[in-house]
Amino acid sequence: MATVDITSEVIGTVWKIEKAEGAPVEDGELIMILESMKMEIPVEASAAGTLAKLEVAEGDSVEEDQVLARIET
Amino acid sequence: MTHEELLRDLAARESHARAMGGTERLARREARGLLNARSRIDALVDEGSWVETGLLAVSSIVAEDRERTPADGKVAGFARVDGRMVGVVSNDFTVKGASSSLTNMKKIGHVKRVATERGFPMIFLGESSGARMPDNMGARGMGTNLGQDPQQYVRTRATPWASAVLGQCYGSSAWYACLSDFTVFRRGAVMAVASPGLASFAIGQQVDAEDLGGWKLHSEVTGLADLVVDTDEEALAAIRRFLSYLPSHANEAPPRAPVPDGSDEAAASLGDVVPTSRKRGYDVRKVIERVADRDSFFELKPRFGRTAVTGLGRLGGRTVGFLASNPMGKAGALDVAGCEKATRFIVLCDSFNIPLVLLVDTPGFVIGIEGERQKAPGKIMNFMQALQMCTVPKLSVIMRKSYGQAYLNMGGGRNSDDVAAWPTAEVSFMDPHYATEIVTWGQDASEERKQSIREQMEKDSSAYGLAEIYAVQAVIPPAETRRYLAAQLEIHELRLSGGVGRHRMATWPTTF
Repeated sequence: MATVDITSEVIGTVWKIEKAEGAPVEDGELIMILESMKMEIPVEASAAGTLAKLEVAEGDSVEEDQVLARIET
Repeated sequence: MTHEELLRDLAARESHARAMGGTERLARREARGLLNARSRIDALVDEGSWVETGLLAVSSIVAEDRERTPADGKVAGFARVDGRMVGVVSNDFTVKGASSSLTNMKKIGHVKRVATERGFPMIFLGESSGARMPDNMGARGMGTNLGQDPQQYVRTRATPWASAVLGQCYGSSAWYACLSDFTVFRRGAVMAVASPGLASFAIGQQVDAEDLGGWKLHSEVTGLADLVVDTDEEALAAIRRFLSYLPSHANEAPPRAPVPDGSDEAAASLGDVVPTSRKRGYDVRKVIERVADRDSFFELKPRFGRTAVTGLGRLGGRTVGFLASNPMGKAGALDVAGCEKATRFIVLCDSFNIPLVLLVDTPGFVIGIEGERQKAPGKIMNFMQALQMCTVPKLSVIMRKSYGQAYLNMGGGRNSDDVAAWPTAEVSFMDPHYATEIVTWGQDASEERKQSIREQMEKDSSAYGLAEIYAVQAVIPPAETRRYLAAQLEIHELRLSGGVGRHRMATWPTTF
């Protein structure tokens, strides 16, 4: 089992979280949507597994490269 | 002396030269997982193809150094990479820190001259401490050694240059890395004008080597690194890969490659990648990966200027350069770093006869004080001039937004040889939302009136509006993009010159 960190590509805020902690995720599946410069930026799982931890909540500000979620594969 | 004795003497000299800085120094490197100057060459070039020049060269200024300077610290020669000739300079840090000396500068000059005149790429494997001391000290040192080659740091892009930053790179290794068309950086290596030690002695600045010139600085802030890898082996493989897209010299077309199975099938899902909602972002690299031949996309500067994506790839087996705006970065609004990245990439493609494919989804250039302080208007015009000077085929696809001056910079109008639009395309001078505010500025316009103006502006921005006045040559379904571009590449092939462009930017700088 390995942990894969999902990081933010952009500076922005967390607009909508689409998956709950503990949920199974497929590679490429939508986990949350960020809002950055009036653009909705999808955050997708980069590996299949379980969404072990959400590191942010809706409304949080996020920085580039900040860890948003962790997936156990 | 008999012939046998003479040959034994020659063999002993050669073996001393090949031993580099001695077993102890070499072992220390190996323990750290680093290749040495010669094993780097072995990992880079085709087996059995190495032809060395200057093996027996040594220091010629300080007599006592003659025995201590095998190959004078810079291993130079010729070899084949994937069957094609290249010139190589590999710095040997175990010999006086691969410092620049009278003899080894002659070696570099020779290999560069031959590569340029005979038409093949140069590869610099960088790890050097700068000018050798005391050789270069004082009026006699300077006057004898440095500055004797008026072409030393001239870049004419007659042939491609690739560099690897594989250790401490000060002096010539840094300069050649910055003059190259491709520079790969090994994590842990450092490239700077001068070492942290000198910064500390001379200006009292205490600075960590990584902060002064590490991979993060050069891949994210300066953009001087095109790619970052973890090992020497990966760096050398990256150089081979980069060169696989390029011609050996500027007067020939890039090599063709077979089209991998499955390339057309991947393109069928293009419509699923880009959301129809103009507010929804996506990673444009997913578009490029589906347009390009399977697994052929080789991204350059992925961590720098992320509002733009640049990289080499193949389409139908032909090398193309992809330049795209990326809605994942600043909603696709091109910033100063994105402009610099685009400019440099256009110069690379044009200089080596690589057609450009522009994929467009941008609300315009980033506005505001930060960009203006970094010369945004100048950077935008560098980018624009590069595109207009460019003589290789240029093909542009407007996927969604294309606004204002960025419409021109991304190939709109006659700035490409062919422009296609997806049905989701919208083109205008300004985002309708902001344009409505501008035209109603100072008026007491009702929300209703603003709404009506906005709707009118949005309706006039469609792909069909462009197609009706032949401002785009076709409106195509996303899934057809790969096929369309392949057909256009064939149409626009530079037949009259055998695939060779005019290279009007061949002497432009490598950074802007």
